[in-house]
Amino acid sequence: MLLRHFLSRTFLSQSFISAGAATAMALALASCSQPSTEGRVAVTGPAAPSISSVSSERRLRLMTSAQYLNTLAYVFGPNVRPDARFAPLQRTDGLLSVGTSIAGVTAGQMEVYQKTAASVAAQVVNAENRKFLIPCAPKSETARDDECARVFLKKVSRLLYRRPLDDKRLDEWVAQAGAGAERLKDFYTGLGSALEGMLFNPQVLLISERLEADPKTPGAMRLDSYALAARLSFFLWDAAPDDLLLKAAEKGELQTEKGLAASVDRMLASSRLEFGVRAFFDDMLQFDLFDTLAKDGSIYPNFTATTVLDAREQTLRTIVDQLIIKKRDYRDLFTTRETFLSPSLAALYRIPTTGGWVPYEFPADNPRMGMLTQISFLAGHAHPGRSSATLRGKALRELLLCQPVPRPPANVDFSAVENPKSTHRTARDRVTAHLSNPVCAGCHKITDPIGLALENFDGAGRYRTTERGSPIDASGNLDGKAFTDVTGLAAALHDHPALTTCVVKRAYAYGTGGPADANNRATLESLDKSFAAGGYRIPGLLRAVATSKAFSQITTTPTATADASAAGGVAK
Amino acid sequence: MKHMPQPSLLASGLLLALTIAPTAFAQSGAQDSAPVIRNRSIAYVMTMEEWAMHKTPGAKAECPNGMNEGPREQFKVLFPENGPKRTVVGTQLAREAQVYFPTPETENMPFREAVGPVVPGINLDGKVDADDFTSPDGVKGIDNQFFRVIGCVSSYRDVAALMVTKWRVDNSFNRVVIELTDVDDLGSDNDVTVTTYRGLSAMLPDATGSGYMPGASQKLDMRFGKDFISSFKGKIVDGVLITEPGDYLMPYQALANVSTLLFRGLKFEVRLSQDSAEGYMGGYLDIASWYAQRQQSISTHHQSYGQESSPTVYKALTRLADGYPDQAGHNTAISGALHVRFTQVFVDHPTRATAQAGGAAAPANR
Repeated sequence: MLLRHFLSRTFLSQSFISAGAATAMALALASCSQPSTEGRVAVTGPAAPSISSVSSERRLRLMTSAQYLNTLAYVFGPNVRPDARFAPLQRTDGLLSVGTSIAGVTAGQMEVYQKTAASVAAQVVNAENRKFLIPCAPKSETARDDECARVFLKKVSRLLYRRPLDDKRLDEWVAQAGAGAERLKDFYTGLGSALEGMLFNPQVLLISERLEADPKTPGAMRLDSYALAARLSFFLWDAAPDDLLLKAAEKGELQTEKGLAASVDRMLASSRLEFGVRAFFDDMLQFDLFDTLAKDGSIYPNFTATTVLDAREQTLRTIVDQLIIKKRDYRDLFTTRETFLSPSLAALYRIPTTGGWVPYEFPADNPRMGMLTQISFLAGHAHPGRSSATLRGKALRELLLCQPVPRPPANVDFSAVENPKSTHRTARDRVTAHLSNPVCAGCHKITDPIGLALENFDGAGRYRTTERGSPIDASGNLDGKAFTDVTGLAAALHDHPALTTCVVKRAYAYGTGGPADANNRATLESLDKSFAAGGYRIPGLLRAVATSKAFSQITTTPTATADASAAGGVAK
Repeated sequence: MKHMPQPSLLASGLLLALTIAPTAFAQSGAQDSAPVIRNRSIAYVMTMEEWAMHKTPGAKAECPNGMNEGPREQFKVLFPENGPKRTVVGTQLAREAQVYFPTPETENMPFREAVGPVVPGINLDGKVDADDFTSPDGVKGIDNQFFRVIGCVSSYRDVAALMVTKWRVDNSFNRVVIELTDVDDLGSDNDVTVTTYRGLSAMLPDATGSGYMPGASQKLDMRFGKDFISSFKGKIVDGVLITEPGDYLMPYQALANVSTLLFRGLKFEVRLSQDSAEGYMGGYLDIASWYAQRQQSISTHHQSYGQESSPTVYKALTRLADGYPDQAGHNTAISGALHVRFTQVFVDHPTRATAQAGGAAAPANR
């Protein structure tokens, strides 16, 4: 069923804001000759910021499986970990997190939620875990004990619902636990049945946002304290709020500048920030592609299932290390030679290692430099049996510069690039032949000069200097900046102005759960300036987003948005 | 023993398979960003082993008299069902005692030897004797009397060979690593040193499911694996490593039991490439060591699956033994060879402190 139908019984009083309608408004791409900047080009001339330009939209989002597991890990500890694999989400405007606002829930998915909830509840009340997860002992294990059940359910419901339950609803859960205990003559089984119901409740699985009038801005609405706590927590930790954040919400601290800053700073200093940062970049870099990535084993025998997992992990480890632990400039992510290696990746790179994940720095004369030369990017944006300058160029444009690339025409002739008996020996030769078709040339000019700079790496990411016996020419051009090899591309990307504005845009959209577009221009420009002033440090960007007025102030007027993913794509 | 035979692998069609056939539209010409020969050394980990044998369909050529019978078949002959009333001690246990305390004199069951003339292996003594074989590529004087013993025993053919390879790669106890040092040229080098080690790291299977990734790393066991460290002087001729003979104790775990195998006068004849190596390790198997290893690894009921009767095999071993005579003049070892494959690895030598803590330092030639 559609999410809105799923919610109708539970959220009648809470409007579901316009997300579905938004996706129907695809951004029209005027031309293939220049990459789009996703909507911001349409807005011209200075204007006084209106409420809607410094506010975000109210969202109703479906919790991801990672968020669910992270929340459970906080509430019940890391030992309670079900095999939760929720249905894939629809990527919208470059982010899955935006897609959570327009997700549908099928009957099959409902069954998955129910089974997951049952598994968790059983683990929590089992004889081994109940001793430390349930803070009281019943008077009798074979009878109901409403007092003890209330103590436990009140505690966990506040964390799972992300706000205190009212007494009436809590009474219902206690009654359910008691009825189960009576019927089954087992206190813990009864308690488990109530917990299962709670874990499967739409108000737990769906992140709804309640509003209140903003006393600081007459006529404006803002997230109430608990909704703001949830938005902050899912943004920075990829999990529901912890006890301290809920306490700050209870006290109203989050609605003051000082209190909000204190909570955000505490969250940024927490080790749980790593979960949030990994989730954000996993989403932004579209690493869900690794869930289905496969290579032809006869062509790339050294690219294994382990390689797929480790390639994703390598980049995420590098990101966390560079951006969070060492607090480096975001742009340096694309030029750094520091990374991490697993045994499987070390074999693919052909580098000696000592086992496990270890830090590694490529020497200065090594062609590996920055994230573009990691296996995740090189193999993730290539074909199963060969590299692809177009896919790599397209990924760079769309993922890192937020520049959607149009889809290829339906009748495009791919024979020049896909013929295995082609007389064209290198990718550059094949692409050049393909570009003889003027219909194709317009869009490929956007992608291929970038992607060809990565041709020194085959479809599995292994370094090479020749292809089919011919030397590889890795020269190229990124928006007027020419280079001769991948290190030149890395430097050009490092200095590209869209690199930083893109991550700002993604971070804002990720945090607020909706597409960032022309309506958010004032906020994005402010965040861009703040990011630059702070030396392009990601913790600073996250702080700026989380403490921005737009993060908590909610527009009451639905706005049109662009669906870049629906508009992107060219010949592969 | 000092005579170096003609490299029997140079013309071997088998080794030509090492050349990677270009796949249509594959990204050929891929080069690694770093050389695999570093500090004049290159290492390999063993990924496959099987006893060097000549095998024809149905074993018709090498076993003209058929395959040997195993413990169950022999038991029926020794103790027919219509015989006198017997005890367990007088039958099963008596036969089991012969497994663990074999005596050639008392063993009278028939044995079918495998025959040549074509059998792979290495010419260990540099001579061409009447009982020697000729290799598939025409090299004469191949010393492989062990083939006569096991060539017609089902345990050592096909499926059984696969099991040995599985044990080799699955059990870290069995991880055999060789490191070539003083290497100037993988195609031709007059003076290299080969050192054997036991590795400690897991193998990395490749995406085909049948091979292993070159470029992986192996941590060397300089503590509990020091008994498996041996050094051999050698040379590389036309891409084939040929070593002088030396003794080698090989880790050999099958199923759950650890054991070892002692080779006397072992030589390597292995074709090398940057990614892999394949060829033969041939020497004189110490019979006591081999037999003990066999009984520790494979119990009678497992041997029964492959029609392998140890008392009968032992008698054949002692009869066909052709090296290392004892003071009484009885040969204590039998010539044989392993067909082996290796994949290139980088080796991680433990630090000096670790080696000292473990009681074993790196060999002097490093």
